[in-house]
Amino acid sequence: MNLTVILRKKMGQLFSLDTWLPTELPEYATGFMYTLGSLTASSFVMLLLSGIVMAANGPQWWTISQIGFFVRGVHFWSVQAFFFFMVMHLLRVFFSGAWRGGRQRTWLLGTLALLIAVPTAFTGYLMRGDFYSQWNAVQAKDGLNALGLAWFNPLNAGQMYGLHVIVFPFVLGYIIAVHIAMVRIKGVVPPYPTHEELEEQGVLTTTDKKEGYHVSSGR
Amino acid sequence: MYHPDVDVTHRYKYASADFVKHLLSTTVIVAILTMALSAIFHEPVRPAIKINQYANQHPLEFVRVAMGDLDGKGEIADYGPPYNHGTGMVQDFVQKWIGILHPVYPREDFVLKPLQYASVINPKIKSYLNRFDKASPVQQKIWEANYNRALSHARYEGGAIILPSGSYGPVAGMMQGLLQVGQSGLMTGALDRSPADYQFDNQNSLLFLQGKPLHNAASKLELKGDQWGIIHEEDAPYPGPWWMTIVTAIYQIPFIAHASAADAMALGSGMILFLFLMFAPWIPILNRLPRYLGVHRLIWREYYKKYHAKDFTM
Repeated sequence: MNLTVILRKKMGQLFSLDTWLPTELPEYATGFMYTLGSLTASSFVMLLLSGIVMAANGPQWWTISQIGFFVRGVHFWSVQAFFFFMVMHLLRVFFSGAWRGGRQRTWLLGTLALLIAVPTAFTGYLMRGDFYSQWNAVQAKDGLNALGLAWFNPLNAGQMYGLHVIVFPFVLGYIIAVHIAMVRIKGVVPPYPTHEELEEQGVLTTTDKKEGYHVSSGR
Repeated sequence: MYHPDVDVTHRYKYASADFVKHLLSTTVIVAILTMALSAIFHEPVRPAIKINQYANQHPLEFVRVAMGDLDGKGEIADYGPPYNHGTGMVQDFVQKWIGILHPVYPREDFVLKPLQYASVINPKIKSYLNRFDKASPVQQKIWEANYNRALSHARYEGGAIILPSGSYGPVAGMMQGLLQVGQSGLMTGALDRSPADYQFDNQNSLLFLQGKPLHNAASKLELKGDQWGIIHEEDAPYPGPWWMTIVTAIYQIPFIAHASAADAMALGSGMILFLFLMFAPWIPILNRLPRYLGVHRLIWREYYKKYHAKDFTM
């Protein structure tokens, strides 16, 4: 087993131009419904940009300066956009049964991104330094303590700041990047086959279409 | 032959696309949208509750909070792990098993230590503390109990707590001193002291405020758990963290809301629901559901129209 060879193979595909810079896309994967994932990624980019400006200026800046207050507003609305587009994207993907064709892990990573996004946003709420931060911190501690997660101390602003500006964004960004790469490598899930197609292929097991049809292999 | 586990994208027609332009366009759209929203609506802010503000506006409540910390009956004084050896807020064995990670002993940390710092400036406080320290634990408990009973008849006049006459020992003087520390604005600094020189941790000042001071303020804003608090964060029309709606809804179930392990149950069941979503591709029935719901006909309407007009109109 040559680890270098395995890595070369994996990374060659993961970082290839075909993965990241496609020049053609399937005809069925166009239109607004297929922009939701990109809008989510763009919201994440806005979160990173506004977050970098805020982190560079330090925690006091966004509470006392006019420009800081504007940038923190951009950050706040980007969070709203991020979750909005992400949930819309998730709905589109769910209704498309997008895990078909060996795409289960792509779905799993997408939902994992949503799961990680929750504490990422939550630690951000703790950085506002206002009543929301105080209230969120004291309210969250009981649940975390009860679940055995006391190490994560929402009352410790220093720990929360580190988690919010580097640890969670790094993990979330990594998951999103691999998720996008997997979508590209596997290709966007094709439409469910129609009755017509299934009949042609001899998969349809009932002749009475009104009673519905059954695909032997399930999903 | 159609098989869901076989990748079949090559069978479909591809159209030329400019992926970079597409991503740049969505980013510009989000940038304009978020900058406009920030310029017009800003980010909502509700000022933080400060200890000096609370001590000035609610002096008797401040003293009640401090007495709970001194006599060990307050919520944090009797909390349990990860803060101390109490039992009042232990929801399950995992919490106990984790142990004391962030030690907080409110009697010392919230009352006696701040008074010690203050005694350097005010020698009167030093004499109260000396008398308190020299008394037996039984005597200390008697003074504390007497003071607690008298508090319900107390008045606050001209900066002083006026109590009916009684045997409070040095406790009355100590509480008057602590109230002054609280009102002065020095209390937060006295609470948030780390062994290092720099302060990055506001655990103790938040724990001091977490009972009545923060809960009363939150209750008025409908932010408590049983008031759909998690998603009520902002004033209308500002959106709160609406992505927590499902967890918030679980908190409203009476069986969970009134359980002693309410937080563990609500967050635990929220996580189990989420696991269903995560593992949907592997869960029978759930993984076939979208096909039968038929929303995909809307998503790929154009495609079906173009290639399967007969089938689509069925």
